[in-house]
Amino acid sequence: MIASLATLGALSACSSATGSGAGGAVYTTIDGNNPITVGAPMNPFNASTNTFLGYDTMQLAFSKKNPSDPNDAFPGLAKSWTITPTGITVELQPDAKWSDGTPVTVADVKTSLAIALTQGNATVGAGFLSQGLAVAKVTPVGEHGVRIDQVAGADNLNFGRLVLGQNIVSDKVYGGLLPTDIWETIAASESADTAVAQAAVTKLTTTGKAVSAFAPKADVSAGPFVITRINPGSVVLDRNPHFYDAAKIAPKQVVIRHYTGNEQIWSYMTNGELDSAPYTAIPNNVLTQILGAGYTRKDSVNSVDAAIAFNQSVAPYNLTAVRQALAYVIDRQAVTKVGEPVGGVANKYNTGLIDTAAKTWLSPDQLSALNPYAPDAAKAASLLEGAGFKKADGKWLMPDGKPWTITLQTVNGFSDWIAASTIVANELSDFGIPTKPAITADFATYKKEMAAGKYAVGWWLTALGPQTSKGYQRYYGADDGYTATGATATHSDGGGNWQHGPTQYTLSGATLDPGQLTARLATLDLVAQKPIVQQLAQVSNQEVPLIQIWDYTNVQFTSDKRFTNFPKQGEDAILNNPPGVWMMQGFVKKK
Amino acid sequence: MKAFTRGLLVRLAGGLVMVWIVATFTFFLVHVLPGKPGDAQYEQFVMEGLEPEVARAKVAAIYGFTSHEPLLDQYGGYLWQLLHGNLGISISYSGVPVSHVIGAALPWTVLPVLSGLLVSFLVGVAAGIVAAVRRSSRWGGLLSLSGSIVAGVPSFVLALLLALVFHTELNLLPFGDTSDVSLEPGFNLPYLGSLVEHAVLPVATYALLSYGGWLLAMKSSVVSVLGDDFILASELRGITPRTRMRYIGRNAILPLFTVLALSLGFMFGGAILIEDIFDYPGLGNLLLQSIGQRDYPLMSGAFLLITVAIVLANILAELCYSVIDPRVRR
Repeated sequence: MIASLATLGALSACSSATGSGAGGAVYTTIDGNNPITVGAPMNPFNASTNTFLGYDTMQLAFSKKNPSDPNDAFPGLAKSWTITPTGITVELQPDAKWSDGTPVTVADVKTSLAIALTQGNATVGAGFLSQGLAVAKVTPVGEHGVRIDQVAGADNLNFGRLVLGQNIVSDKVYGGLLPTDIWETIAASESADTAVAQAAVTKLTTTGKAVSAFAPKADVSAGPFVITRINPGSVVLDRNPHFYDAAKIAPKQVVIRHYTGNEQIWSYMTNGELDSAPYTAIPNNVLTQILGAGYTRKDSVNSVDAAIAFNQSVAPYNLTAVRQALAYVIDRQAVTKVGEPVGGVANKYNTGLIDTAAKTWLSPDQLSALNPYAPDAAKAASLLEGAGFKKADGKWLMPDGKPWTITLQTVNGFSDWIAASTIVANELSDFGIPTKPAITADFATYKKEMAAGKYAVGWWLTALGPQTSKGYQRYYGADDGYTATGATATHSDGGGNWQHGPTQYTLSGATLDPGQLTARLATLDLVAQKPIVQQLAQVSNQEVPLIQIWDYTNVQFTSDKRFTNFPKQGEDAILNNPPGVWMMQGFVKKK
Repeated sequence: MKAFTRGLLVRLAGGLVMVWIVATFTFFLVHVLPGKPGDAQYEQFVMEGLEPEVARAKVAAIYGFTSHEPLLDQYGGYLWQLLHGNLGISISYSGVPVSHVIGAALPWTVLPVLSGLLVSFLVGVAAGIVAAVRRSSRWGGLLSLSGSIVAGVPSFVLALLLALVFHTELNLLPFGDTSDVSLEPGFNLPYLGSLVEHAVLPVATYALLSYGGWLLAMKSSVVSVLGDDFILASELRGITPRTRMRYIGRNAILPLFTVLALSLGFMFGGAILIEDIFDYPGLGNLLLQSIGQRDYPLMSGAFLLITVAIVLANILAELCYSVIDPRVRR
């Protein structure tokens, strides 16, 4: 039966002109952040959108994710821009047009920013001002210029970057969804009168819902491509002849394929079906197959780190000596080799930042003064004994004489964490702390149970960047009970986080409040941030609120089978953007 | 005819009660799942570089379709909307009607499941008859063995095996979509060929999964019928083997009709795993996605649809049985 069905399939395959690669100018890929979603609209504001950043969804600019300059970006619909403390002036691409032939105008930018403020950037009062996209007004400047002013007093350093990173949609398509008094409503949402502000926010939220549920009949794109057809499992985008830089775009067509799991992406690659592919956790044998199929691996910095976190409200994890001891026991190199052999680099400094960022912010002397927590069972034992722990029959007992066991929590879907947990458990068990990994069914449950304080030790994503304020959020920010209002933070240890750490640390004899320092990071320029980052890095290394195991690497694969001139290893700024942006910047040429 | 109509109405009423019970059960079941819609999305936003406060607010906006009313009020509203044919508004699709989302995915489950069931039923029943009639021969033994082997293989193992052999290794058959996206949908040979090509792996999996069951059940049923007196009588009366086979087939296939309806239900359930492995964008895949995102209306809608399909299949099987077997009507 299977043979006959396969024959039927093979025959039908002969009768169907397979599109991939037809004419040699079809670029096939997968959008790692955005699998095709059956029945979803072509609307970038929908949670399950079937639109694709860098292909048919455009921004004014595309961030280079430069940790030293957050405003550094590749031009998009903005040809150039000037950021000032009060706002940003953008010069639009003079030839920018939508796929229906109409020019991109100030009205499109204004509508898009108003929509952005209905999509969750609007909250009442000071919280709104602290969040960045506090747009006061949008005004035309000359023939192609737009001035976007920040609300007086907002003073958000990231305002310009946030404006540049918003999705720009056609006013002709989306403008009708906004009430005529949208900007008055936005202004009212910042009113000092809480009732007025609340009514305005409610109205904005209602508008936001209408916008996100909207399903345009056809794709209207200002990007290099425009959606021609959506299948349940793939999308075909044709080159947009009206794109302002159409001559740079080599593929006449892009096919973006759906995926539900890593295995499908591996399979497409081993068959050579993709021209570029995003990173997925890959075992070494599959990596060998993929490289054998003609793919080139491109690594770039990824500002995410996998760490083991502690609930410090649970003994003995409230003791710094215990956390330090565990850091000495866990061999991060060995764990990374099993957990993330391809997409991870063992973390060296344990500063709360990825190592690449730590090297940027700390001086060589400061780096060398950090404790590397190289595997050292003797040091670990000494720390534990100093804290009142005793060893009997090869097992460590807690100061109260009770046996010490660890359940290391991880979550289904994170195959790297699950694999790494086995090694960590073996290392800790061998050291005398019986440890067993436990897997939560899915991420929603993991978050729910974390919030309930159910886990004492478990895996967590940290060092999110590239901005340092984000990097330390997981340590001393919202995730650890702090609420920032401008440059100040209030702390409420109400659960919903891993750490429950103290609000004061002593570093080199000086007392510091890590939450306050983290809150200030968002309001300071890079020069002013430096001493604060250095303090936070040093105290994180000293106190070990989390043990950073590996820094993720942004691994991508490209194949020269049909196209050449891909971004190269080391060109992190471009590699950290979608292939549509590569093409806009002149990369990717037909073979 | 009156009796038939009365019977039909009774069965439909029973079916409606069953649907209501299952709808109620699944409504409360999906709401007691731990976790909130948007939890994973929040992490995604934070990883993409949004400030935690902005990420939280953004999640609240795009997942603002979550009801915060008391659960019993939500249940009442759900039933009221259901009576009006409204399955509600999806959370993870930011306000898109559930009926639209399910409608987009449904054909890609129904067509392969029904095709697989039909193929396996026809092939399995025919093979079962041969295996019974030729049970003393090598062919009969081989057929029975083939049925036993495929009946014992778990669905995900079989699906993975087929994917590995026919896609990864031989690169003969595609997966991950319903057709080649570059082809214009319509009643044209390239598109239809591509539809078939993309459906081969899931259909073959469904077919192989149930083929063994049909074969063994039919063989057992035929062997049982072969021992009946009317078969001996028909032989003594000199009725031709062909006519005799018709007698055997008609009598032996009767018990399989009830199983056919039940199989439909099992296959809909099995679609979840199989669609996930082949990345086939049907209802099963949608259900998995909706569970991960805690999209309560979408989960309830998908479960309800599967329930309705099973209930209707059972009613249909009972009606068919009474038509096929006159003894049931007495």
